[in-house]
Amino acid sequence: MSTLQIGLAYAGATFAVMFTGIPIAFALGLVATSFMIVYMPWASLDTVVDNVYTEMSNIILLTIPLFILKGAAIGKSAAGRDLYGAMHAWLHRIPGGLGVAVVFACGLFAAMAGSSAATCSAIGNSAIPEMRARGYSGGFAAGLVAAGGTLGILLPPSITMILYAIAAEQSLGRLFLAGVVPGMLLVALFAAYSMYRYRYEHRAAAAIHAAGGLRSDILQEDSFTLADRLRALPRIAPFVILLLGVMLALYGGFATPAETAGLGGVLALLLIAAIYGAWHWSDMKPIFQSTLMEATMIMMIIGMSLLYSYVMSYLHISQSAAEWVVAQHLSRWLLLSAVLLLVIVLGFFLPPVSIILMTAPIILPPLRVAGFDLIWFGVIMTIVMEMGLIHPPVGLNLYVIKGVAPDIPLGEIVWRVLPFVGLMAFAVLLLCIFPEISTALPTWIYASR
Amino acid sequence: MAISAIATGIAACVLTWEASARYLFKIPSIWQDDVAVFLLVGATFLSAAWVQARRGHVGIQALAAILPPHIDRVRLAIADFLTLLFVTFFAWKSWELLLEAIDEGRVTYSAWGAPMWVPFTCMSVGMSLVALQLLLQIFGVASRWHEQ
Repeated sequence: MSTLQIGLAYAGATFAVMFTGIPIAFALGLVATSFMIVYMPWASLDTVVDNVYTEMSNIILLTIPLFILKGAAIGKSAAGRDLYGAMHAWLHRIPGGLGVAVVFACGLFAAMAGSSAATCSAIGNSAIPEMRARGYSGGFAAGLVAAGGTLGILLPPSITMILYAIAAEQSLGRLFLAGVVPGMLLVALFAAYSMYRYRYEHRAAAAIHAAGGLRSDILQEDSFTLADRLRALPRIAPFVILLLGVMLALYGGFATPAETAGLGGVLALLLIAAIYGAWHWSDMKPIFQSTLMEATMIMMIIGMSLLYSYVMSYLHISQSAAEWVVAQHLSRWLLLSAVLLLVIVLGFFLPPVSIILMTAPIILPPLRVAGFDLIWFGVIMTIVMEMGLIHPPVGLNLYVIKGVAPDIPLGEIVWRVLPFVGLMAFAVLLLCIFPEISTALPTWIYASR
Repeated sequence: MAISAIATGIAACVLTWEASARYLFKIPSIWQDDVAVFLLVGATFLSAAWVQARRGHVGIQALAAILPPHIDRVRLAIADFLTLLFVTFFAWKSWELLLEAIDEGRVTYSAWGAPMWVPFTCMSVGMSLVALQLLLQIFGVASRWHEQ
């Protein structure tokens, strides 16, 4: 069999096995070992476990469970509610301030927790009922939180970016920094759209009221005194300090990424113990349960994906595929569009973690040959995968939101989330035209060190 | 689950100690990385069966919504059986590797040279538990069929 045929069989087998519904981790392992049995020396089977262990014992990879622990600690506490409450108190004068507060709270929370699902459920739990009580439509509230939650994988410490940094052999520190300004750009775009949407819903409600209909709660004005606003600060200040402290430890060169992750986990647990009195095992149990649930699932996928790409490389599938793409002599932008299209299509079915590990050996070499900056591409790829988190059929965030607000129909959430997918596409376009949006900050920080 | 939770907690503390010991007390880090790796790999494998019991390992469920219920049950049975096949193979190879590591006295490449049987034991036990859990789940489904 030629490499091409083996490659096609490998891809075909992967999709066939995955669609039976086998957990992704075990599906990857099953396909990889089956191809080892057929096409590789028998002795290679003895190395399967050793391979998985060697890949998993990478100390950078092990930051993932610890960052998840930090996110779960903050996510299971009332920090999400407090953060969002404080944002609202400070931003209520802006028309549509409630929506803007939700976006800002999502951004800040994402930067602390590093996970999209955690951000969605923590902010969604308090923000969606509140927005609906204030007369916003349920679909818009849900769409806003689903989209805001995706910031979790773009802003540091993002788990997706940790994996990309390993797969692309790029500096994790630089990659994290490269996501910061694009993350803020998305926050600004989402906030602007939410103000526009508020005006639209406000006008519609005012028209109904003027015509003698019901007075919607959206027409009611809020007021907070300065004292209210100042009172909101002490509860969120420790978390902002945690965020800044972790960044300082990492970028000041005080600690390695793994140490930073460990430190972040310990500090987050101490903070919620100090602020919310959560120090009993009964308080800690849900935190550790959700940490293990997510971390074990992700680490298993990672371990098996690495076995999967090892087989792909041993059989020369990834090299041949990459060479084939290079030999097409596509123009730079056509190549980029083709690669992003592939990522979008895979995003219909697979979570970001598997997309990165499965495609990196094939898509990164041609992009490198074409002269693309791989740090910049990491940011673009992350935003494109963010879209996958909010569009069906996998759309992880949609299901998290559905769990938080079960009475909003899924169809309505999907419909209201589409404008945000459009805004993300617009951000990708901006980044292609002005790559400096992402690359300027890491270049500047690393040059000044 | 509890063991994994404690292991994750300790790993976070070990790394915190590593950073603070180096900066505050100028103690060089020798054992911390190895210990953290062992704890976290151990936590992953030892909680894998617990996650499987809650069907927490994500898979593509697109077909579940399309297929009629009785065919979907067959799909789920095939999926569980294939998973069991792979997990059993992996568990078997883990035990082999563990025995080999004990025989040869394998240690890590770090200056500390930690014994490799520690993580390999976690992998062997963990994957065997996943296999057991899958067997229970398959029997559970089969007995429900039988009742109907």
